[in-house]
Amino acid sequence: MSTGVLEDRVLYPLENTSRRFYALLAVFVLTTILFLVAWVYQLNVGVWAATGIGDWGISGGVPWGLYIGGFVWWIGLAHGGIAISAAVRVINVDRFAPIARVSEVLTVLALSMAATNIVLSMGRPDRIFNTIIWWPATVHHSPLAWDIAVISLYLVLSLTYLTLSLRAEIAAFRDRLPVHFSPLYVLLTLGYSTSEDEKIEQILWWLAVAILALVPLLSGGVVPWLFSLIAAQPGWFGAAAGAAMLTESLTSALAGVIVITAIFRWAYDWDDVIDERIFRDLAIVLAFLALATIWFTMHDILTGVYAAPTNIGALTTAMLELSFFWLAVIGLVVSVVALFVMIGWPEQFFSIPALVGVSVILSITILNKKVMFVVEGLMFPTAPPLTNLYPTGSYSPTLVEWWLFIGTIFLAGFGFLVASKVIPMVELDPEEVN
Amino acid sequence: MCENGFTDPRLLSGVYINSCTFKTQSYPKPDRTVTHDEGIDMTSEIEPSACSCDDGNCACGTGGCACGSGKCTETIGDSSDQGPEMPDLGQGWTTGDLDEEWEAHAEEKLETVDFDVELGVEMSRDAMRLARGELTEAEFHDKHHEAIKAEFGIDERPTKSTPLEATRGGDGNALPGVPAVEGSGLSSRRGLMKAIGGLAATGATASVAGCLDQDAGGSASATDGDGGDNEVQMGMVIDTDQCIACLKCSEACKEENNTDRGAQWMHVFRYEEDEYGETRAGQMPRPCQHCSEPSCTYVCPTQSRFKREEDGIVVTDYDRCIGCKYCEVACPYGVNFLGKNEPTEKSPGFFGSETDQNDRHVGGPPPAGVMGKCTFCVHRQDDSAQRGTTACEDDCPVDAIHFGDMNDSESDPREYLRENDEETRFKLLEQQGNEPNIVYLGNEPSNEAKPVDGPYTYEDVGLETLAEDGGDD
Repeated sequence: MSTGVLEDRVLYPLENTSRRFYALLAVFVLTTILFLVAWVYQLNVGVWAATGIGDWGISGGVPWGLYIGGFVWWIGLAHGGIAISAAVRVINVDRFAPIARVSEVLTVLALSMAATNIVLSMGRPDRIFNTIIWWPATVHHSPLAWDIAVISLYLVLSLTYLTLSLRAEIAAFRDRLPVHFSPLYVLLTLGYSTSEDEKIEQILWWLAVAILALVPLLSGGVVPWLFSLIAAQPGWFGAAAGAAMLTESLTSALAGVIVITAIFRWAYDWDDVIDERIFRDLAIVLAFLALATIWFTMHDILTGVYAAPTNIGALTTAMLELSFFWLAVIGLVVSVVALFVMIGWPEQFFSIPALVGVSVILSITILNKKVMFVVEGLMFPTAPPLTNLYPTGSYSPTLVEWWLFIGTIFLAGFGFLVASKVIPMVELDPEEVN
Repeated sequence: MCENGFTDPRLLSGVYINSCTFKTQSYPKPDRTVTHDEGIDMTSEIEPSACSCDDGNCACGTGGCACGSGKCTETIGDSSDQGPEMPDLGQGWTTGDLDEEWEAHAEEKLETVDFDVELGVEMSRDAMRLARGELTEAEFHDKHHEAIKAEFGIDERPTKSTPLEATRGGDGNALPGVPAVEGSGLSSRRGLMKAIGGLAATGATASVAGCLDQDAGGSASATDGDGGDNEVQMGMVIDTDQCIACLKCSEACKEENNTDRGAQWMHVFRYEEDEYGETRAGQMPRPCQHCSEPSCTYVCPTQSRFKREEDGIVVTDYDRCIGCKYCEVACPYGVNFLGKNEPTEKSPGFFGSETDQNDRHVGGPPPAGVMGKCTFCVHRQDDSAQRGTTACEDDCPVDAIHFGDMNDSESDPREYLRENDEETRFKLLEQQGNEPNIVYLGNEPSNEAKPVDGPYTYEDVGLETLAEDGGDD
């Protein structure tokens, strides 16, 4: 395909808007309104009344639930994107270049949704900025302050990366971009000259290195540390949580990238822009990541049932009786088997819809695992004798809670919809124009 | 005072064991116990043997026992075994004035005691020298210090040793199981966090001491090196064997602090456990443990949860808390309750001061959406008329709760610990490393303890009934 044709195909959504787009826009606007309504309701009655969360201890509640599980899930999802994009730049995996932009946008949106879930979970969301005000004093001791630091850094780096990588492109294709977003383009290309391109490339390379370094620090570090450092909850405490959670996060992240990329490919008929080979390669990585997730789960279970301390033993036994746990195991096993069958016999079994199906199953499974991890740790809290003196916790998310969490998925979708009308969703080479 | 007891030669002439000094030691089993009211005559016919007072101010004389206040308990031998009466020698007597027959009898009695008789006699003689002014008190204390420590493991008299060493145990710990915190090595959680803080290249000058109270401005400047080791550390000794699970403490707390429905800042566990085939019932009141290493303050992202420097009480700044519930999940004791603005009809409202002496909003029930828990009635601690009291302690009908400064050897809880040295004691979940400041007397619930309904439930005593206005402000 010639570059001219590629540009036309990529810029097509920016120059034309289909009826299908307006329909989807209407759906997302509606879901956003519903999200806001639910949120206003929760703000009015209080997070303790609107959700299934409660106090652990004598009340037998669970203080962290779907929102915090959702937060961890979104953080995980945020990695895949920028990690793929950064890898393209740092180790020159050029064949993934067509999905880099979608991945970068996914990262920015996922990080925002992670933050939204934290705000949803708070008793006093109006005081969110207290965490920033007191950050210099709390960063020495509060894992949550570390999280705020690393997530903010990650968001700033991702946004900078996205913005810088857009400058040359926007400048080059300015005349083909929608007029009504002109102020934004002016802002993005402020002071641009073609002489900066080389410098920007170097900056982007270093930014990519920094982002790749942040991935294990965020999803394999501060986020699992929120839980694994808490000695009070035996279901959380432990040194291996970081490694296990990073693997899960990367699994869901890659699954997320596959789903989003496939949707764009299907919606804009980009079969020729995003080659099927990219999906086959992603499937191989996904298969091994999902396998590693099973492997970590197996470690968890074995240490929990074999001559474990009484409370950890009880906790693991209880988890083995949860239907959610077996759903997660089935989801993982089925996905891994399906993925290896696809890899082994691509001619007969590989298809992008099938891969998307497996990716959706994996995403939901990882979400299930994360929420279960958070909730289960608080259902069987503390150590004996208090563990047995307090009632076992119970938790079931309310409709409001479900809606607000699912609402964040719709919000992210809305974000993609808007982004696809503002910037080219596949990286273009500006030099071809000049 | 006990110390002064040594200056009274009569005290030491007969039986050298001053029960005030050595009350933490085990005595020969008493045959019977007689309890007197205050102001007993020193020339009572009761033969001296051993004496203890519940306020620690006692003097034992040859003829009896006197206490500074309260009751006085004498332990006396079998009456049939009474020997010759101790002669009344009046003031200013010397050993030479002693009746030989009586001394022989005294020594004979002491043969039956497990303690070092020679040391006792020697001390008695020195005490007389002290009384005559031939020896200073410090010299006297110093002279036998080693021997007394060797004999009893402790020497409570005011020698060079610190009060902490004097209380209990050869390891110099003030309380059972509290690891010594001197030196800020990496052994303590704070030490480790400080090391991390030191490594953090943020350029901020804050230290982890920020988990502790800072000035009202909340500046992030580093406080003194080891801010966690409060000079005053309020705590409680709770005697679970005394406790009758009547829920008076929970009720008093609710009335005083106007807590929400479902929130029991002071909860009383009632449980049963199997003990070698026998079912044992027990009860254990559970306030916030006001830990010395409170994990809730460490995790707080706004330093809303903090430990007051003036008295070691752990409280929440209600005006700053964001309701993230991280303190709640990081606490191993389950004492946190998110504010819901659902007061019960048990309480007419909160009438104490909502702000503490540093003007931080920490007293009373938490507003909706922010975290609350037992404050050790912080509003009382900042009020000179009520300082040193809590609602739960005041209302306990069986005197099971003893609130006070755990670092003050003269405080009520420490006194109670000494008086009940024979009783087993424990701190809840000590292995978690939070260094709680509640010491329980009695048996710790086993890992198999199962909760059972007590004689009363919270519903029975109306603690769960919402107030009519439902909390609408």
